[in-house]
Amino acid sequence: MESLIGVNCSAMECSSTGAPIWRDILAQAMTGELLAAMNYTSLSEMCEDPTEIADALEHAQGEQGHAAAFAAEGRKIGVDVINNVDAKHWKRLRDAFLRCITERDFIGCLIVQEIMLESFAVASYSRVGKVAPGSLGGTFARIAAEEEDHVDHAMAILRAERARDAQRFDDKVYRLHLDVMTTLAQMLAKECKDGHCEVCHASCVKPSLFEVSLSAAELRGASLQQYLKTLDMLGIPGEVTLTWVTQLPV
Amino acid sequence: MGDSVAGVTTPARTIGVDLPPTVDFALIGHQESWRAAADVLAVLRGPERTPLPDDEIEDILPWIPPRAVCHVDVGSIIRTKSGGAKARGLYIDSFIPPDRLEAAYVHENIARVRKAAACAIQAGAKIVSLGGFSSILIEGNFDQLPERRGTFFTTGNTLTVAFIVQGIQKMCALEGRNLRRSTLLIVGATGDVGSGCARCLAPIVKRVLLSARNVERLRGLAAKLQDDGVQVEVAADLQQFSAEADVVICAASLASPSLLLGRIASDAIVCDAGYPKNLSPTAEMLDAKVFFGGLGQITGGMKFTPDLHGVLNRHPFPDVVHGCLLEGVALALEHRFEPFSQGRGFITQERVDEIETIAARHGIYLAPLYNADGPLEDGLDARWNGREAA
Repeated sequence: MESLIGVNCSAMECSSTGAPIWRDILAQAMTGELLAAMNYTSLSEMCEDPTEIADALEHAQGEQGHAAAFAAEGRKIGVDVINNVDAKHWKRLRDAFLRCITERDFIGCLIVQEIMLESFAVASYSRVGKVAPGSLGGTFARIAAEEEDHVDHAMAILRAERARDAQRFDDKVYRLHLDVMTTLAQMLAKECKDGHCEVCHASCVKPSLFEVSLSAAELRGASLQQYLKTLDMLGIPGEVTLTWVTQLPV
Repeated sequence: MGDSVAGVTTPARTIGVDLPPTVDFALIGHQESWRAAADVLAVLRGPERTPLPDDEIEDILPWIPPRAVCHVDVGSIIRTKSGGAKARGLYIDSFIPPDRLEAAYVHENIARVRKAAACAIQAGAKIVSLGGFSSILIEGNFDQLPERRGTFFTTGNTLTVAFIVQGIQKMCALEGRNLRRSTLLIVGATGDVGSGCARCLAPIVKRVLLSARNVERLRGLAAKLQDDGVQVEVAADLQQFSAEADVVICAASLASPSLLLGRIASDAIVCDAGYPKNLSPTAEMLDAKVFFGGLGQITGGMKFTPDLHGVLNRHPFPDVVHGCLLEGVALALEHRFEPFSQGRGFITQERVDEIETIAARHGIYLAPLYNADGPLEDGLDARWNGREAA
């Protein structure tokens, strides 16, 4: 349980100048968590093995908890954190996941959620956790660590799958990369060139991130680095994944 | 992005599966300039995509973890029943940002080289050459490399020294100078490359001037050379030397070529063997004969996959590579998987002769001479043997 002093300090620091920025950062994070919860729920509906169903539902619940934690952090600094899972980029990410569901592609679902979306979450939450004051920073750091555990869990399944047929597995990852990582790269671009993201409260938060010691370039760099490291752990050759990443839009 | 699913299999299949799982050698390097880095990324990005803007490259590159960039296939001039002897390798980039080469980033850069070394080990490379700044970072810190089994590391400094010495001898021959009457100045004389050059050239010049920041180490090197009857002077500050040098090896990068002014003959032969190379003949030494030293040329063929020819090796002549990297290639072609160059101060004339012989056996020779203004010769005679001039 946090002390009253800690909460007050956090609220003061955040609300002084950065509250609108933290509100938008929290909105993106909360939307991502809700989308992850929806993805895991969809996965549970596809699974037949009771253990897999239970795992997926547990994950969904965990992501709901993360979303609630972000909403609570918003309240502490006096902002109402909105979410919009139908915002254009997030919707495309959800659609990519649902295509895997339609194809009953369990491995594809894991690749999209655990390798691609979680790389983005782990890296960006970690960066935010380092600069956000008080409990806000602590919450981001804690959730980043929990998301990393998810990746570890999926890694064993995915490695075993790759061991069965590396070429087939790598082709699948590349196909999903083109779909999902292209969208994520557009989200992570230094400027939103194709209009409002439909999650930020007013104008785009990216140009203001420097006010809270962050930058869009840093969040993108850290996310791509995490993604490359995760693909390394899967055993996909580094020269191949480097080419994939350099071909993403900026 | 417009890529079809049919095209999806191409990159992975070309590189990841059709090739054998292990490689003979690995070359660890990094890009010297943002321009070079941009060119590498442009090739990887493909001609159908707009090249990344410079500001995006500077934002993205520092985040790329060390990793293989391309496969390198090299050929020997030795013929076997099944054709020419060959070796297969990987070029691994540590992705040290070109603006972070200075001392302030030394720990970060060592960490990057360690990770690049781990990539080489994981790829099963039997011999690994440390190129450019990687070699400088690790030459005194081999214990900082990851644990390895069956993978040997070499700084490649012995072949670098061989090519520097050959280059000096060739330039003297081209300019009609008698090396035996020369006063040789070595800047950065206590480093592995500088001290190796001193041991090889001191016996065949009139006088040696040694300069480095560490005076104690300088004196130690000088004492050993003096024991062999060499006339030696040492100084941390170039202005303190009593004589003017007419042959100069810069084994350490100079902050400015003007540091040499006044202490070298106006028409001195100057070998820029530092890293990165930054001496320009047109800067403040108009009559000096400046050339880039330590470079070799593979004549048995070299192929990059993907095709980074002329991008990774940016020289005015084909198949030219830094000597430090070529040492690993030569050892791989020779099937001598051993840590040929390690530590600092162990390069002797005998070791230089040995690696020179191995390299030449496989068609790896001193590269045609050039400098920042371009070629100093036509590059037709790839088989220069420096000992002829000595």
